[in-house]
Amino acid sequence: MSKKPKVLVLKADGTNRDEEMAYAFKIAGGNPEIVHVNQLRNGIKKMEDYQILALPGGFAYGDDIVSGKILAIELTSFLGSQMKKFIERKNTVILGVCNGFQALVRTGLLPFRDFGKMSVSLTNNDSGHFECRWIKLKIEESVCKFTSGLVGKVVDYPVAHGEGKFFALDKTLNEVEKEKLVVFRYADEEGNATMEYPKNPAGALNSVGGICDPTGRILGLMPHPECFVRAEQHSNWRRGEVEVMGLPLFENMVKFVREAK
Amino acid sequence: MIQKVRVITTYGPDLKGESILSEIKTRLKLRYVNKVQSIKVYRLEEVPLKDTKVLAEALLSEPINQKYTINESITCLEGARLAKRAKALPAGRQAHLRGGQPPIVEIAYKSGVMNPEVASILKAAADLKIKLSACDTSNEYAFFGNLSRREAINIVDKLNLYNKTVEQIVNYEPETLLIQGQPGKTQIVPIRSMTNNQLMMLSTDKLSLNLEEMQAIKNYFTKIKRNPSDLELETIAQTWSEHSGHKTFKAELVVNGKKKAPLIKRIKQEALKHKKNIVSAFVDNSGIMDFYDGFGICGKVETHNAPSAIEPYGGAMTGSGGVFRDIAATGKGAKNIASTDIFCFAPLELPVKEIPEGCLPPDYLLQRVVTGVKDYGNRMGIPTNNGSVHFHPDFRAKPAVIVGAYGILPKKYAKKDLPELGDLIICAGGRTGRDGIHGATFSSGEMTEQTAKVNSSAVQIGNAIEEKRMFDALLEVRDKDLITLVQDCGGGGFSSAIGEIGEKLGVSIDLKKAPLKYQGLSPWEIWVSESQERIIVVIDPKKLKRFEEICAKYNVENTVLGKFDGSKKLNVAFGKEIVCDLDMQFLHHGLPKRILVARQNKSHSRSLREASESGNPYNVEAPKKEKEWIDALVKVLTHGNVCSKEPIIRLYDHSVQGTCDLQPFTGVKLDGPNDSPVLRPFLDKKYGMVIAHGLNPVLNKIDPYWGSIWAGVEAVSNFVAVGGNYKEASFIENYIWPFPDEESLWDLDRSVDAVIDLMKVLKIPVISGKDSLSSTYRGRGNKIIKIPPTLCMSVFGKIKDVSKTITADFKFKDSTIVLVGKLDDSLGGSTYLEVNGIRGTNVPKVDLRMLPKTLNSIYQGIQKGQILSCHDVSEGGVITAIFEMCVGGNCGVKIHLGGVTMSHLRGDRMGSSKVKLLFNETAGTFVVEVENEKAAKKLFKNVPFMILGKTQSGSVIEVTNRKPLFKANIEELKKVWQQLMKELFA
Repeated sequence: MSKKPKVLVLKADGTNRDEEMAYAFKIAGGNPEIVHVNQLRNGIKKMEDYQILALPGGFAYGDDIVSGKILAIELTSFLGSQMKKFIERKNTVILGVCNGFQALVRTGLLPFRDFGKMSVSLTNNDSGHFECRWIKLKIEESVCKFTSGLVGKVVDYPVAHGEGKFFALDKTLNEVEKEKLVVFRYADEEGNATMEYPKNPAGALNSVGGICDPTGRILGLMPHPECFVRAEQHSNWRRGEVEVMGLPLFENMVKFVREAK
Repeated sequence: MIQKVRVITTYGPDLKGESILSEIKTRLKLRYVNKVQSIKVYRLEEVPLKDTKVLAEALLSEPINQKYTINESITCLEGARLAKRAKALPAGRQAHLRGGQPPIVEIAYKSGVMNPEVASILKAAADLKIKLSACDTSNEYAFFGNLSRREAINIVDKLNLYNKTVEQIVNYEPETLLIQGQPGKTQIVPIRSMTNNQLMMLSTDKLSLNLEEMQAIKNYFTKIKRNPSDLELETIAQTWSEHSGHKTFKAELVVNGKKKAPLIKRIKQEALKHKKNIVSAFVDNSGIMDFYDGFGICGKVETHNAPSAIEPYGGAMTGSGGVFRDIAATGKGAKNIASTDIFCFAPLELPVKEIPEGCLPPDYLLQRVVTGVKDYGNRMGIPTNNGSVHFHPDFRAKPAVIVGAYGILPKKYAKKDLPELGDLIICAGGRTGRDGIHGATFSSGEMTEQTAKVNSSAVQIGNAIEEKRMFDALLEVRDKDLITLVQDCGGGGFSSAIGEIGEKLGVSIDLKKAPLKYQGLSPWEIWVSESQERIIVVIDPKKLKRFEEICAKYNVENTVLGKFDGSKKLNVAFGKEIVCDLDMQFLHHGLPKRILVARQNKSHSRSLREASESGNPYNVEAPKKEKEWIDALVKVLTHGNVCSKEPIIRLYDHSVQGTCDLQPFTGVKLDGPNDSPVLRPFLDKKYGMVIAHGLNPVLNKIDPYWGSIWAGVEAVSNFVAVGGNYKEASFIENYIWPFPDEESLWDLDRSVDAVIDLMKVLKIPVISGKDSLSSTYRGRGNKIIKIPPTLCMSVFGKIKDVSKTITADFKFKDSTIVLVGKLDDSLGGSTYLEVNGIRGTNVPKVDLRMLPKTLNSIYQGIQKGQILSCHDVSEGGVITAIFEMCVGGNCGVKIHLGGVTMSHLRGDRMGSSKVKLLFNETAGTFVVEVENEKAAKKLFKNVPFMILGKTQSGSVIEVTNRKPLFKANIEELKKVWQQLMKELFA
């Protein structure tokens, strides 16, 4: 029997979905641990001891300057060499959800794995305000390593953010599409990509809700799959059978690192 | 030297600029501004240009959609673009666009006010290996158009674009960002030689005590043969304030000539008769009830009316922050798992001329309060999943902002330990500043047209992230069993928190050790400051090192201020200077006992008279034609008390923590409202908790007893409607009352009787409560406005299996719709009468004898899975409940009044029994969906019920009596029901 993969759920001042994230990895077969960024800074914990790095939602450092910025700088500078070693290992996974996604984009890891160079942005919702609701996402065919069995499905996840508009210049956007880095797209009931508010709650360009890097091992998305790992979390579970759509993503990640050499 | 970096967004919307422009056009109706550009400004001190460039690129601006400049204007870019556009305009309009530099107004924090962003910038700069000696951030607004800077400043003022308490318009470049200052001196107040007049002058606007109390202070100092320091006076005033001392609730009463026990005594006495689930009641910062597996759940509801009235954003933020700290500082620390927000305002359509001097318009208040709650709660990661908004014209003088929080903790940490000699007193969390001084005494006074000016420093500033990391650290030190107790630093600051815990043993404190946001505070200011995000922790000195390590892990500053010294005194020093030497006995027991007189207004209570003068309900014609019925329904559904609050709820994060198993809105289109949230605090357990509340200022004003009964029954009905068992619940009471003159005190006494009767009938306790008895406005020429006396009843409880709970949305076609519970035939205070311009005097009276049976039948029906959906009847009446269930189910209904026995709903000229049924707002009644009539007859055999009709496909509400009454299109009704809040928030 293989050991449960160790998951580092990273916490900074203002991180707040760390416990749900840890729970999702736990029931998916991982061995999660919530680690404060200061414990990495002072060497009490080391990234090399983990296979999955998960950046949860929240408001790291108050989202000062812009969302995820201060944490992104911490990851690329003070913790830069640990991070580099972590991504160079072929059997590691990084997941960023919501605020974690915003930070990953600002480290440059998403979408092009260009550590320290930002090329796309997550910016203010077009509506000008925070939005908390369940939305639909189509899971695209992409280079992502964790969507096996999920491609083509339309899933329900909750969103809760004010700065979730995926933004890139045309050229970059084309490249992201061409390299098949778009993993999640906001969709209507039929699974068609949508720009309509509130189905696409932030007005994300090309309806992008989540992307991965070219290796498919780094994934970021605005909606919260970790908040849909049991049926009763869905708003309409009393109206009939609900397929739990968040959990498989975590199971796939755990499976990937288990099997990766 | 200071480097100045300016940043603008070049791709994508400039939301702040656009929203200001839209307010200029819609609220100020000015046409001469065509664009507002917001600019973020960073000032960096003692950093070379080269490093400034690195910071501007890596940290301060975004490479993709932003641009920056260093030490030069940034609007020239925008100006050039507009000038190009101007060429295409008629000659007359070109001039102002061509001018190049538009007027710019810069808003910055006042010198010395802590700017939370600064710490983040210093941290990130250090990570980038750049040393900054200081920095600051601010915002510039550039106004493009035909206007001068003076006019631009005028706009900024009128739109309240900055909070004058903490922010200012920048007119001169600062020479340095480093702040120095000398601490203020401690003054001695010659109270021993003061006349009564002088005593009262000292009290007014500062101490908020009455003459008898001021004399007690004078006598004490005469006895000990010295005069008090300003700090000692502030300490006494704060401890004896209504806010902290609850003098009215503790007073002996004489009601209509008869002696009656103090209000709080009566409530406690009855509550303790129902202690099956009580873990701790009335002794801690929140009330704790039993949960499962050795855990307790706790609840606290607070009001934050006074600060919200003058600065709604900051007031709401710090209201949330305060109530979260009450939960966190329960026992040895609890985890916050939910929050609730309940607001009362004047109607949004209130004409500006009716807003009293010194008060803010209701739409502005509502928007800013919601934003404050959102910004604080969301950042804390605490789901806001229950709330309501209520309207009554008399809230124009002072809104009611009620914030609740709920938590969970192991029962072994539910009780605070008694401090021992030598134990340390530690301040942890945020630093102390001048913000919030006199909050406790100020909130205990009446509001006047001067309040906003005089008490601006009473408003606190919130920084949620500071509080979040403090809570994270607190839970870890609790779980390592390192602390003796934790106390919230709320109203009254250190004075209140330390004065309270030191009562038995006595303490000595050195205020010079307190970390400050800036220098220059006098010792008394440090002592009573209500700066947010601070807690007091008591620990054994042996555990200090481990405590400090955990605080360091979470970046939480902590400082030992003093210790328990056994002196039975409150000894406070500022370095070597002694600034306080008070006997704990005098401080805590020297307050003269009050005897208060309550009297019912002879002929009629005033509010009742007002209600009856508003018009005779019997003059309202019942609708006859179909169009009249639909018009009546539209009017009711568009009323502020009834309309959909969805746009507000979408701004609150209610999904964080992943615990909400019954969400505020569900149904086919996720737009059908529910009665209460159901939470699962432990994601891997089946059990959970239900949270609900009820209040009705309109009814309370007409009839304080039956209005209060309505509030409590509404709360319990919301709780039961989702599947809660009321026998496993506890109440929290909150009084928001006018200043207790004889008549208002009589109302209050009646309301307390109602609360006691509710406990008796339901056999469950009140375990926490709070009163705010100062909601009276006194304007120029003694113009008095009393807000409606309002009782907010909250209820929370445990539930074994959260999967046995239900939502309000109709689930199936052809189900049977049943009205369960006994309707009273009174429409007084109903929305239906109100939209007809009448209050009415007879408010619905709940049949208290029948209530437990009704509640139980609903609970049992849901447990058995036979009730498919359920909604309690409240504002808007039976038909509104049915409508909301249709919205959720995306279906229609066919209602047959002909089949309903309405013998006890007396038909008369005004209402006919049809109106009295459809628009009835009797609390404790429910609309439920069951499979068929047979099921209904079996489930409700012991309680009154009526079969109303069936669900059907399509989107029509069809009501027939013997003949068809009306068919209303649900999609159209939904549009108007959603309109009001959409306009305000979407």
